[in-house]
Parts: sequence; C-alpha cells; structure tokens
Amino acid sequence: MTGFIDLYTEADTFLHRMDPRVKILAVLLLSILAFLLSGLSSLLLLLTFIFLLLFLARATLGKTLFALKFVLRFMVLIVILWPIFDPSGTPVLATLGPVKMTEPAIWRGVTSAVRVGCLATVWYILMFSTSQRDLVRALVKMGLRFDFGLALAISLRFLPTFSLTIESIKDAQRARGLELDRGGLLRRSKNYVAVLAPTIVSALRTADTLSLALQSRAYGARADRTYLRDLRMRSSDYVSLAVVLLLVVVPAFAIFFMGVSL
Amino acid sequence: MASAQEEQKKTLALDSSKPAKFVSPKAVALYGILTALTAAITYASYTPFSPTKGYFNLGDSMVFFSALAFGWRAGAICGGVGSAAADILLGSGIYAPITLVAKGAEGFVSGVIGRMHGGNKWAMAMGIAAGGACMIVAYFFGELWIIDVGLGKALAEVPVNIGQVVLGGTIGALLTYYVRRSRTVPLPA
Repeated sequence: MTGFIDLYTEADTFLHRMDPRVKILAVLLLSILAFLLSGLSSLLLLLTFIFLLLFLARATLGKTLFALKFVLRFMVLIVILWPIFDPSGTPVLATLGPVKMTEPAIWRGVTSAVRVGCLATVWYILMFSTSQRDLVRALVKMGLRFDFGLALAISLRFLPTFSLTIESIKDAQRARGLELDRGGLLRRSKNYVAVLAPTIVSALRTADTLSLALQSRAYGARADRTYLRDLRMRSSDYVSLAVVLLLVVVPAFAIFFMGVSL
Repeated sequence: MASAQEEQKKTLALDSSKPAKFVSPKAVALYGILTALTAAITYASYTPFSPTKGYFNLGDSMVFFSALAFGWRAGAICGGVGSAAADILLGSGIYAPITLVAKGAEGFVSGVIGRMHGGNKWAMAMGIAAGGACMIVAYFFGELWIIDVGLGKALAEVPVNIGQVVLGGTIGALLTYYVRRSRTVPLPA
C-alpha cells in the first residue's frame, strides 16, 4: 500500500458539471433505493445502472478496479458465510453436523452480496467526479458550519502530505534498521511507534504554523464568510434531481402502497 | 432596522472582548491536522494478513490519542471523520458511514471517561476499554443490521476488532503520555 490514490479525475462530463449538492443527494437516494429493493433481479439492474454512471463519469479502469477490489472479496465472503449461519428454508442441499445448507439461504446470501456491491460502488460516483473543493463547499451550503467545513478542507488538503511524510519517516527508520514488515502483530505495532512519534510531532508543528497562518488572514473576523464562486443550481441540475427522485419514489410507492415485491 | 442590527451582530465578531461564535483558529487547524493524520496513519499502517485473518491498522491508536490528549471533541471529530476518510481511500467505502459513527463514538467515550481526574492511568484505561466496547458493538450491529452481511461475517469481525482496540489503546495511551510529558505542545482544554 505505497503511494496515494487521488480519487478525483479531471474531466468534463455531465457528472462533473453537475451541482455537487445534487450528486450528494442522488447518492444518498440511490443508497436508500438499494435498501428498499429486495429482489435479486432488481438489485442487479441497479448495479448495472451504477456501473453505467461510473462509465459515464469516465472513471479509468484502474480506479474502477480499485473501488471493486475490496468489495469483491467482501461479497464472496458474504456468499460463503451466509448459508452457514442461516439454516431456514426447505430444499436442504447438504448437512454437515449442525450446519445445514439450504437453497433459499444461498439466494439470500447472493442478494445481500449484490446489495453490498451497490452500496459500496455508488459512493465512488461522487468521489470520482467531484473535487474536494466542491465537496466541502456543497456541504457548507447544505448547512455544515463553515469552521467545520474549513477543518474538513484542511484535513483533505493535508492527507497526501502526511502520507508522504509517513513514507519518508518509514524509509528513514528502515535505514536505521527498523523492521516494519517482519514479526507478529505485537512486534510490528511496537516497531510502528518509532514511525508514529516523529509523525505526530511534525503534524503538531504543522498545526501550530497553520493556526498562525489562519489568524494572519483574519480567519473569523466576520461570522458570515463570503466565497469567490458560489454554487448555483442550473436547470439541468433540477432535471437530474427529478430523475433520481422518480427512480426512488416509484419503486417505493410500488412496494409500500401496491404491495409489489421488487 | 433589522439589517442594521444584523450588520452590528456581524461586526461584533471583530470585537475581541466578545467570545466568537465559532471554533478558534488554533482548534480548526488542530482538528484539521488530526483528522488528516488519523486518515494517513490508518492508510499507511494498513496491513492485510493472510486472507482469512483479515487485516489490522493502527487507526485506533490515533483515535485514542486525539481523544485522550485533546479531549472528546477532537476524539469524536478526528476519529470519526478521519477513519471514515481512510475507509473511502482504502476502497472499503461501504464501511464509511458505520465507521463514522463507531469511531466517532469511540473517540467521544474515551475522551470523556479517559480525561476524568486529570486523565490518570486508570481513567485512561477505563476510557479506552469503554470507547473500544462502543466501537466493537457499533461495528457488530452496523454490519448485522445496516449492511446486512449476515451473522457469520459480523461475528468474524469481533475478535479482529478486540485486537485492534487492545493494540491501538496501548499505543494511543503511550503516545498521549509522551506528548503530555514533553509539555511542548499547547493542549487546548
């Protein structure tokens, strides 16, 4: 796990131009939809839709694989472990002591795995197509206090910096003979303290300098801060919001009021 | 009239005798940096073991460190947001909402309990135990009810999480001890 992956890709697709607030809402709504649906085929349809959006966001193959790498292992584990702990259902396929493998349990495991896949990949649409600046500004516009927004912006800004710092401190300590990749759990974590301590010292120094920089730029002089560029909803944003709302409301209506199982 | 009053209210913040409504620049910088540090350390120390044993990381030590050294507010914000950001960066974004709640609660509880009586040894140990318990319970029920992974997967995570808390708590308490002893770092209440 060396190097640092920046999730955002610069591009000019309709997802990149969309108002970040709409994107946040859309991702939330699609997550709710994934919880509402309980049928395998409708969940697969949703997964296809999410992948279509990822494709339209011009996510490179490497990044899509990165988003999927962890999820796939997770999904496989669910499919394997679900039938072992769920003995309900009639067509029993195999019995091993107290463990019963049943056909409906296997299908439930597969359905749950697909839902997890939907929930895991849908967030990467937002991450791949929204810059950090837009994300923080959208959250502030949606009601986050701007001082917390600033703290969030600072932390996103310093993440890659600290990753690099940690890497170089690791290298420096390795050059002195520290072994980070050998030994058991306890030994490894004990050795890691030699990396953590200098990192924290350097980070706290950075925090001190940063607070001076903030003060020198009159942070907090006025309670209402202004922005150079403001977010404005365009007509296309309203259309996209309406489409996503329809995508969620129609199945919800069908499930709760018409009794259709989707 | 109303606009004039509003204008007055806005400029009041300039008056240093009145306490400002927002977090001080020192705290904003500290929270931002600690959040980034939590995420970066979780990311850098992420070590997958053999495929069945799962993985471990030292993110918990940073959560405990922020909570014990800088208070429950720092613990909750930096622990929750930083760990959630690391989850997204590590490709396990599905855990991010649960992590936000679980690690946030961990930081909050260990910050409140761990700093009682001036944060002595026993308070720190109790805080770590209580905060760790919160995290483990939150992850278990989050996985069981929200992500709906099934009982097997949720149970398999519990021993891994206990190990993380024990290791992270030990390292976090050690770091807090050293930082407090050095007295070079200004610690906001």
